[in-house]
Amino acid sequence: MFQGVMDNNVRQAYEECSPEKDIMRGEQSKGLLHEIMRENSKLDEEIKKLEAELQSNAREFQIKENVPERKLKFTSVERPEDGDHFSNSSCSFQVNSQILYEVQRGQALITFEKEEVAQNVISMGTHVVQMEGTSVKVSAHPVPLSTGVRFQVHVDISKMKINVTGIPDELSEEQTRDKLELSFYKSKNGGGEVESVDYDRKSRSAVITFVVAGVADKILKKKTYPLYMNQKWYNVTVSPFIERRLEKYQVFSAVSKKTVLLTGLDGIRVDEETGEDLLNIHFQRKNNGGGEVEVVKCSLDQSFIACFEEEARGTT
Amino acid sequence: DSTTLESSGLQEEQSRLKTRLQELQQLKRERIDAPRDKIPFPVPEVPVVFQGLTKQSGQAPKSLVSNLKICCPLPGGSALITFDDPKVVERLLQQKEHKVDIEDCRLRVQIQPLELPMVTNIQVSSQPDSHRVLVSGFPTGLRLSEEELLDKLEIFFGKAKNGGGDVETREMLQGTVMLGFANEEVAQHLCQIGQFRVPLGRQQVLLRVSPYVSGEIQEAEIKFQQAPHSVLVTNIPDVLDVQELHDILEIHFQKPTRGGGEVEALAVVPVGQQGLAVFTSESS
Repeated sequence: MFQGVMDNNVRQAYEECSPEKDIMRGEQSKGLLHEIMRENSKLDEEIKKLEAELQSNAREFQIKENVPERKLKFTSVERPEDGDHFSNSSCSFQVNSQILYEVQRGQALITFEKEEVAQNVISMGTHVVQMEGTSVKVSAHPVPLSTGVRFQVHVDISKMKINVTGIPDELSEEQTRDKLELSFYKSKNGGGEVESVDYDRKSRSAVITFVVAGVADKILKKKTYPLYMNQKWYNVTVSPFIERRLEKYQVFSAVSKKTVLLTGLDGIRVDEETGEDLLNIHFQRKNNGGGEVEVVKCSLDQSFIACFEEEARGTT
Repeated sequence: DSTTLESSGLQEEQSRLKTRLQELQQLKRERIDAPRDKIPFPVPEVPVVFQGLTKQSGQAPKSLVSNLKICCPLPGGSALITFDDPKVVERLLQQKEHKVDIEDCRLRVQIQPLELPMVTNIQVSSQPDSHRVLVSGFPTGLRLSEEELLDKLEIFFGKAKNGGGDVETREMLQGTVMLGFANEEVAQHLCQIGQFRVPLGRQQVLLRVSPYVSGEIQEAEIKFQQAPHSVLVTNIPDVLDVQELHDILEIHFQKPTRGGGEVEALAVVPVGQQGLAVFTSESS
């Protein structure tokens, strides 16, 4: 009878434990799966973001230029036959990158008369130059130069058109267009005869074109203009209508084939002029792999900026 | 056990994703380490040389602006007067209306400033153009006019046998030529080939073809600046011929007693006509 009781206890314990353990194991597995999936999802998102960033970086190259202020002088009054010239004020200019290299302390630039000589000096790599009793080991490299860009900027400011923004959207598109035309017609507000209204409801803006020049100038003396609709006055914002474009746009890689960058001049104890003379003497000798030298400039005290100029090389 | 299989699959994917992320991060670091001004697409080389011109560090502008030209339309019945002394301009503008005496009558004219548009700041982005290519590598001493060269290139790159197609636009740039194709596949194909031996006049020239990089203005800041030495005289009626009017106005505005000063230039735009005032930079 005692044995029978023991058997029952053992069986009972076993039955109670098994389902619980199975359930626990299953739950743990599911949790782990979800965690891995979440991690993978996060990684995927990060990858997509990086890919998009690298993609956009690769496709665009930004140039920001301040156009320095300069004094203007009257040149002439022209009478071009093309009538369009009278509809706009215009501003145009040429932008050319400067090709600059900052020569660091312990560096020098040397320009040879011939490309072959410069390339030979670079390919030799290391040169030992005698400087006031000291052997100075100098390394020759191509000059690392930036990308250059050149373009023409053309900006036209219309004498006949103005931009209008901040137009309320209370009426239908056609009614709003009519209200705009009527308001900008009012000579008491400086308006004039309107030739056309290009209204864009979505951006709540419009371009108003006048029949004669002079009206736009008058209106633009103020920043706002009164628009009358639904028995109410609204002040809409007015601004010049500007068209701008680039012409003759060129991006190029500046390459210096006659000028060599020399490094390894740190700590030498001669003045710059002497250093330049000694480099000139060394590199003009054929025995040293050199040739006719045109320019040498050392930076032994302070760094300076070297300006590179385009070699004259015509196309036609 | 299906759970186990699923788990190992996901872990494999995680490993692959981590590797990819590391690759991209490395690529990004390389891009950052590259020279800031380095452009990330192929462009033609331009030879430059150091000829001794130097500047102190931090004192060289990155770009040079030249050939500045500003044009301003002048209405009929007006005159543009340019004085030596800008103080004369200031004095005249204080008095909007002027009376100019003629023999039997008096002209009532108005004086106003001439506002000139100036671009003070510009931001430009570069991007390869899918339909256009840049042809470069032209040798010196090529004895062809611009039109002749463009014709020969259009002929060569217009032929399917050379990998080309219909040329829609062509433009001479400095040392290079831009060609625009109707079909962007043609442009891309030519860039892939990269080099061509092209007959130009009496010689075969090895030319390079790369994507044309076009520019677009992102931002342009425009301010209006008053012409410092000039005023615009308006409301001049049609009562005299141009030369007489010119003389009368010059005599009048030359007199300090009339608020005038030494006249450097005077241009009359008669009623019914229009003029375009041209201003250039003093230094260039």
